[in-house]
Amino acid sequence: MAGLAYRSGYFFTIANNLIYMGIAFYLWQSIYGSREIIRGMTFNQTFLYLSLASSIFVLFQTWSDWEIGFQINDGSIITWMIKPLNYQFSIMASALGFVLTNLLTITIPTIIFLVFVFKVTFATGPGLIFFPLALVFSFLLTSTIDYIVGITCFYTESVWGLSITKDVIITFLSGSLIPLPFFPENIRSILEFLPFQAIYHIPLNMVIEPNQPTSEYLTMIGIQLVWVIILFVLSRQYYNKAVKKLRIAGG
Amino acid sequence: MSLIEVKNLSKHFKVLNRREGLRGSIKDLFSQDYRIVKAVEDINFDINKGEIVGYIGPNGAGKSTTIKMMTGILKPSSGILLANGIPPYSNRIQNAKKMGVVFGQRTQLWWDLPVIESFKILKNIYRVDDKTYDTQMGMFNSLIDLEKLYPVQVRTLSLGQRMLCDIAAAFLHNPKIVYLDEPTIGLDISVKAKIRAIIKELNKNQEITIILTTHDLGDVEALCNRIIIIDKGKILFDGPTQRVNQLFGSFRTLKVKIFEFNENTIPNIELAIKNKFQQSKSIHVKKSEDFWTDITFNQEETPLREVLNLVMNSFPVEDIRVVEISMENVVSQVYDGALT
Repeated sequence: MAGLAYRSGYFFTIANNLIYMGIAFYLWQSIYGSREIIRGMTFNQTFLYLSLASSIFVLFQTWSDWEIGFQINDGSIITWMIKPLNYQFSIMASALGFVLTNLLTITIPTIIFLVFVFKVTFATGPGLIFFPLALVFSFLLTSTIDYIVGITCFYTESVWGLSITKDVIITFLSGSLIPLPFFPENIRSILEFLPFQAIYHIPLNMVIEPNQPTSEYLTMIGIQLVWVIILFVLSRQYYNKAVKKLRIAGG
Repeated sequence: MSLIEVKNLSKHFKVLNRREGLRGSIKDLFSQDYRIVKAVEDINFDINKGEIVGYIGPNGAGKSTTIKMMTGILKPSSGILLANGIPPYSNRIQNAKKMGVVFGQRTQLWWDLPVIESFKILKNIYRVDDKTYDTQMGMFNSLIDLEKLYPVQVRTLSLGQRMLCDIAAAFLHNPKIVYLDEPTIGLDISVKAKIRAIIKELNKNQEITIILTTHDLGDVEALCNRIIIIDKGKILFDGPTQRVNQLFGSFRTLKVKIFEFNENTIPNIELAIKNKFQQSKSIHVKKSEDFWTDITFNQEETPLREVLNLVMNSFPVEDIRVVEISMENVVSQVYDGALT
């Protein structure tokens, strides 16, 4: 409900996103020039990939890390510490709330625009069934990372630099700024071992190439699940350490 | 067993000795020069069910630190602290279920939402069953007419209204203990009266134990049956309110502003008072805000008109105020053994 309380933000976000897509459209159109396929992707696929990537980015924009930072700095974190709540779950639940309102108010209008104005087409296939599930895991991954960045604020007092760094790292290394197939081979294989591509590249791949064998998709979901578990455990440990520092040095 | 047990409780902070200026800040990044601040030092008390305890002391006395330890936010440096039989720090969530807190200077309500939504959220967080919820809300309505505020966004409430909502929110889940940290700060008399009434009622009806920190002696008089005075981390007094009332109710502070205030003014006043009122043990003269001097005394020992007469006749008085004794002055009197 708090997300819906401020309405004009939505129009600006949608406009912002559409402008980005417009830029991407013309940029990549000129990159493609007269070529049909680069690195195995057609222009249509590339454009769809990037537009979806930026839409997903906006969808998952929950500012949790900033929220935690503000709570530390103005001391309102104390109102959470006196409640019988698990802090991590309350932050992630709040993030989920933002995602749902984002979905309704930003993502859906953007997708409509994408289909009818940019006239993007996409193939259908079993990949599309796995897509929503992959998105759920992507949400878990990205919100846990946001949470970890936010918790770092227990140590430092400002979340600004770290948050922007995190955004840059994720957008660049996850394939959302430049599709992974466009990276040189050796870098690409390194990136496959990082969790970031599990956030963007995996679900996007399902939409771009929805006709791969089901086992491929199951592997992808499996990779996501593994990263969800690893990051979750990391975040619990980190929180336990960081909160001790907070509670010893003063509320 | 008492509801809250505190034995030899201490809290020390390690504080960096910060240096001035830009070069100082940079040097500080590498500094190992810490000092230990003893915020709370070896305090002891037990609080029983149903008590309303006033926890008072000057600013920086260690009140908030103690409250933060009792609510499980701060980890004690040493000693024993039990609330409802468990140490609040290591059982934060369990402890939080049975406790309510009102921080006078901040709200626990959701800023952008209507008041009623905050209550509904809290109902869920504390897992309050419908019956309890309805009973509590019904009581708030009859005592302070809370219904009128339900649809109002918290951010647009006045301070008094917000405080009433915060108090209701703290009692919503029928906790065993409620901590009120400066609940009446900045409020006008009529709202203060409402707040005192609702606190008294909730304590009487539901036997909720209340710990109240405040600078307002009026709150203490109206609500507390017991007072604990803390200063510089140590407990100076722990006993029934009546005693403090008897001793300090009749105290007054005469604030005077003397023309051409200089460094001799206060010593001169002190001398004049000492000469005139030799047998009065409880007159204190001290510097107050800019150009003002505080003369604190016990009316039963030294009548107000005599002090007034002396000051008006011997000094060029520019302005004058008579106030009830302040917390600071109570504490300095207590230091001098006024309560022993």
